[in-house]
Amino acid sequence: MPSQTSLVTPASPSGTSQLDLAADLLTLLREASTEPRADTQLEALTLAVAADLPVLLWGEPGIGKTAALTQLATALDLPLTTVIASVHEPSDFSGLPVVGDDPAAQGVPMAPPDWAVRLVRAGRGLLFLDELSTAPPAVQAALLRLVLERRIGALRLPPGVRIVAAANPRSSAADGWELSPPLANRFVHLQWTHDHDVVVRGLGGVWPRATLPRLDAEKLPEAVAFARRAVCGFLSARPGLAHRLPSGETRRGGAWPSPRSWEMTLRLIAFVTAADSSRDVLSLLVRGTVGDGPGLELLASLDRMDLPDPEALLADAAGAVLPERGDLRQAVLDGVVDAVRKRPERDRWDAAWTLLVRALETGAPDVVVVPATTLASLRREGWDVPAAIERLAGVVSLSRRADDATRRAAVATGVRR
Amino acid sequence: MTTGTPGALDLGKLFAARLQAARVRPYLATALFALHPVESRQVPTMGVDRYWRCYVSPVFVDRTPVEELAAVWVHEVSHLLRDHHGRSDRVARERGLTGPGERLRMNIAADLEINDDVYGDGLVRPEGAVQPDRLGLPVGLLMEDYLRRFRLGAITQRLAWLDCGSGADGLDRGWELGPDGAHGLSDQERDLVRFRVAQGINGRPGTAPEGWRRWAEEVLHPPQPWRELLGAAVRSATSGAGSGDDYSYGRPARRSAGVPRAILPGLRRRPPRVCVVVDTSGSVSDTELGSALLEVAAISRSVGGRRDLVTVVSCDAAARTVQPLCRAEGIELVGGGGTDLRAGFDRALRTRPGPDVVVVLTDGQTPWPAARPACRTVVGLFPRQRSSGSSIEHDPHYRPDTPPEWARVVTIGSSGG
Repeated sequence: MPSQTSLVTPASPSGTSQLDLAADLLTLLREASTEPRADTQLEALTLAVAADLPVLLWGEPGIGKTAALTQLATALDLPLTTVIASVHEPSDFSGLPVVGDDPAAQGVPMAPPDWAVRLVRAGRGLLFLDELSTAPPAVQAALLRLVLERRIGALRLPPGVRIVAAANPRSSAADGWELSPPLANRFVHLQWTHDHDVVVRGLGGVWPRATLPRLDAEKLPEAVAFARRAVCGFLSARPGLAHRLPSGETRRGGAWPSPRSWEMTLRLIAFVTAADSSRDVLSLLVRGTVGDGPGLELLASLDRMDLPDPEALLADAAGAVLPERGDLRQAVLDGVVDAVRKRPERDRWDAAWTLLVRALETGAPDVVVVPATTLASLRREGWDVPAAIERLAGVVSLSRRADDATRRAAVATGVRR
Repeated sequence: MTTGTPGALDLGKLFAARLQAARVRPYLATALFALHPVESRQVPTMGVDRYWRCYVSPVFVDRTPVEELAAVWVHEVSHLLRDHHGRSDRVARERGLTGPGERLRMNIAADLEINDDVYGDGLVRPEGAVQPDRLGLPVGLLMEDYLRRFRLGAITQRLAWLDCGSGADGLDRGWELGPDGAHGLSDQERDLVRFRVAQGINGRPGTAPEGWRRWAEEVLHPPQPWRELLGAAVRSATSGAGSGDDYSYGRPARRSAGVPRAILPGLRRRPPRVCVVVDTSGSVSDTELGSALLEVAAISRSVGGRRDLVTVVSCDAAARTVQPLCRAEGIELVGGGGTDLRAGFDRALRTRPGPDVVVVLTDGQTPWPAARPACRTVVGLFPRQRSSGSSIEHDPHYRPDTPPEWARVVTIGSSGG
């Protein structure tokens, strides 16, 4: 057959062999450009690794965890060592006992594997333990010791070595791999997913290039102060969340709140702040450290921390800047009215009216209705109605309109029910 | 805020409606105020995108009474709170649904999920709101279930104008501002708004209707598919120490020959023995038992168990039969009447060789053994809805026995598998 003969022929007329051509084709296939693209999960991973916390990536095989680790190693300028856990034996991590001439006198040393020796000699590097969950239990036990105690046999990993582990989700793991609560509590759990668009575009020849977070030297003290304030403020308001063991089958093996994981959270908040990363990144990290519920509560309290202080607003009502989002704006206005209620003074009351007028001029009027009604009820005898209040006439008519509609709706639904 | 120019958006009316909506549904106020209204002449009525912008047609606002607009506000915000766009995308991927026709069906299904319980109690039903009974469907289903139950046809023809935007069905519309437009909410901000609303509902459970309370419960504790949980529990129990594949120094490794001075453990394999105790009392239906039993058999096969190592004990007031699962004709389940699972446990533990794991399938209305049995226990629990409060009224001392602490309990639901 002609096709066969052409492959067997050592050289085509042009003088290049088929294998050379194949190599050319492979080179062409490998050619790909990159484009900058925000990658929240890679940013989160970078910060957690920079913060020297053990990270556990949860994700199905073949979704680009290794590629992400390669990018991360480049960004942190660390040599990457990948160890596939499932093809090793426990002794590869805990050390091989080697019997010498006189074990009674010399003891039995635990010999470390070659990659560990190289890693220790280099003094720095990124160690990626892949497929943790498909390894037999004894291997997993040995690996966890490596992650948590940083020991391989007789060797101790130097501080310059960072460790990331990867596992398949519990439901798809080949056998019953899961972390006990104490172990789970030591990791930052990141769910690794692939973005369909990124994959399609990458196969088309353009892979994303994430710009990774850089810590800002000037922000370090401020970041630490912010992180301490955030976590301490939150935990003093919600003491019940300081320690809560996971209960029930659904939460098993995942992140849960404890003093240890709150300390990790504090560290991560400081890193996110110093790197000026987004709240989305922080959300992934915090929820991966203390769990979804407590993590969301902390984020909600951070959201409130960002809001302007009612006292500062009252002090400078004319120059106040209110948040744009309606729900946040209402929270701020409620806070202002609450501050006036706590210390009712004439000028504070007037300043609050100025703020309400400002809110009305810069945003939706319905948000102002409830604070305005409450503020009006705080009036003391002898306090004159400020001139600004006339500009709130629209709010009164808006409120009346809503009242009318509520009445009509009550009648209508009353009849229909 | 005035209606000076004809055809301009009557913001006053729109905001009065939002205020009314927030008054009759106070637990949704945060979400309502977080929505950012955008005037649009292309949207037929009102629609939302996944970034929490609300597109409003000026003509629609003009011809609709305030109380109906209020209902539409609640309707649109419900799409976002219930994550209809995300769920539509997931359903489209899972079931291979493509094209605008399918997305229209998703929009209708999402509307059905909202409309069957959102109106009434101070909120009028907007004209033309699609109701399950008009399509001959039952109420109280989820969007995914509704989607299976109707096709586009004569009866849905007059709904073709219906369009709630990409927030309802995940299909981007031409008039939407997209991810980079102004006033969009980020992922994390959307999560937080949802979380806050859910927290508000859980904090004041009396005020919100059943549907919203269920929703809030799911936001804070998302349900998990029982098959995966049961699988994980059984896998984890069967692969514990003493069974499954693991390393042991009890037998030399095959590669010992190559490393003469080192001592290597060998891989040893002992397939797990699983005993399934099935509650055959009258209160558990055959279909439920059948599906759960098949599941356990499949799981134990997947962890390397042989069929002859899985035994089944059917148990009501007394343990009846012990059968290996390898009988081709399937398993005979004998029983009926009351339950005493203690007999089943006894029988299971007396089988020789003893089981590594006991899996109990029951509705939980039974006494449990007082002491922890000698092997791991997984309980597959069929939840029983007690007719609300009636049993408590008749017997104030009635308290059903809950599965003991030492068992891992997976609640087996009818859906989510």
